[in-house]
Amino acid sequence: MIIDVLKGILVSSGFASLSWQNAVMILVSFVFLYLAIAKKFEPLLLVPIAFGMLLANMPETGLMADPAGLIYPEQAVEGAHWYNDGVLMLIYAGVKSSIFPCLIFMGIGAMTDFGPLLANPISLLLGAAAQLGIYVAFVIAIALGKIPWIGFTPSDAASIAIIGGADGPTAILVASKLAPDLLGPIALAAYSYMALIPLIQPPIMKALTTEKERKVEMKQLREVTKTEKIIFPIAVFVIVSLLLPDAAPLIGFLMLGNLFKECGVTDRLSDTAQNSLCNIVTIMLGTTVGATAAGDKFLQPTTLAIVALGLVAFAFSTAGGLLLGKLLYLVTGGKVNPLIGSAGVSAVPMAARVSQTEGRKYNSSNFLLMHAMGPNVAGVIGSAIAAGFLLLMFGD
Amino acid sequence: MRLLYIIDPTAPMSVPQALLVAVTGIAVVLLELALLTLVIQLLSKAVRLFTGRKKNQPEEEFFIPPVQSAAPAAKPAGVPLPDGRSEGSLELENVDEPTAAVIMAIVSNESGIPLNRLSFKSIRLMQEKQK
Repeated sequence: MIIDVLKGILVSSGFASLSWQNAVMILVSFVFLYLAIAKKFEPLLLVPIAFGMLLANMPETGLMADPAGLIYPEQAVEGAHWYNDGVLMLIYAGVKSSIFPCLIFMGIGAMTDFGPLLANPISLLLGAAAQLGIYVAFVIAIALGKIPWIGFTPSDAASIAIIGGADGPTAILVASKLAPDLLGPIALAAYSYMALIPLIQPPIMKALTTEKERKVEMKQLREVTKTEKIIFPIAVFVIVSLLLPDAAPLIGFLMLGNLFKECGVTDRLSDTAQNSLCNIVTIMLGTTVGATAAGDKFLQPTTLAIVALGLVAFAFSTAGGLLLGKLLYLVTGGKVNPLIGSAGVSAVPMAARVSQTEGRKYNSSNFLLMHAMGPNVAGVIGSAIAAGFLLLMFGD
Repeated sequence: MRLLYIIDPTAPMSVPQALLVAVTGIAVVLLELALLTLVIQLLSKAVRLFTGRKKNQPEEEFFIPPVQSAAPAAKPAGVPLPDGRSEGSLELENVDEPTAAVIMAIVSNESGIPLNRLSFKSIRLMQEKQK
């Protein structure tokens, strides 16, 4: 009898149904937890993502089960209600419905000072050029799609390409709409590369610029009035959403958060958007995105292709910003330091910090941070527009 | 009319088609942000033009004049001084000059009267009575 009981416990435990894919993913989650905690690689995102991955790969927990068919109607079981779904699947509805990425964008807006961009509007062009990697990666992904074991569809290619926007919430929004099965690897690649920006960008910056260009000191930015800062979010939202309605959710929430910050009469809302709300949503978004990385879906040849394409996208985006920076250097007669172009890849403020650090290496009295913040915040707008374009092309 | 999608997301796409989409995509981003650049420049000019006119007066209001301990030369009554200075002698009792300057600036700001139209007679520290 005791043996039967022990046998029953063992059979119904997770050990009996632990697949090798689950085991590998559990180990991968440990590696990510190590990187986040010990190496401090984007810990605010990587800890919830890695733990979500751990939760989802524990067998028989049903945390990502969807018997009600909320997210995956093909999994629906007759008579099941929404509350029969796994808790992570219920929270994941916030990702699938775009609520979380939009709320994160509101927090980013409330944290962002668009002053450097307003003081030097040409920065917007650098933010646009630094989206080049998205489109290069898209073409390569389509070409790779001809390989049978990869087989990317155009919407898969668009979702992978958006990694080049170096913007986590944007990548999650596009992937959750166009290629939900690839959401896990895409989100992980996007955030991992964002954490690795200080390693990825400097060699490209060095390769594409001359020492003379890197030494350029830029003129101090003009002071921006409060009125300009208040009008800016409203004007940007109206123009962008009229031109490209698919970009409206991201741009709208980004600009709403920024208006909270700048208008001067909603300090409490601004504080909530950039702190408590953003933190709460980050926990839910990170955990559920990690939970989409179930072993059987994640451990595929396509994941390797996504990781490689993400790196290509990041590299070309950096190169795009730098090349336009070089053009501006020539056009302005040497007044623009091309190093600020690489900050156009979004990833606020890390990419701007890299421009500052690299600039200081060649001219110790150079202070490029505020100049790089212009393209950096322009990159956020640029990647949201690029996402809107891809959703317009391939969305359903 | 709103389209669901422009290109069938599941149909195979050739590399030249993908190149076309990519070129269109980067052009859309560049054009939209170029338009925003133009709009920001115009808005900034308009705002600075509008606020520039109003700027001179408030700056005078917040000007903190040096405290004058000696009586200045007599001037016709009611005529504002051109350089933002206050008129008349000022007696300070247990108050240092920087504190007096701050008090005068606050009075000017709160009352909305420019400093060159205000005349301070004395500034005295009021001691609280010991219980």
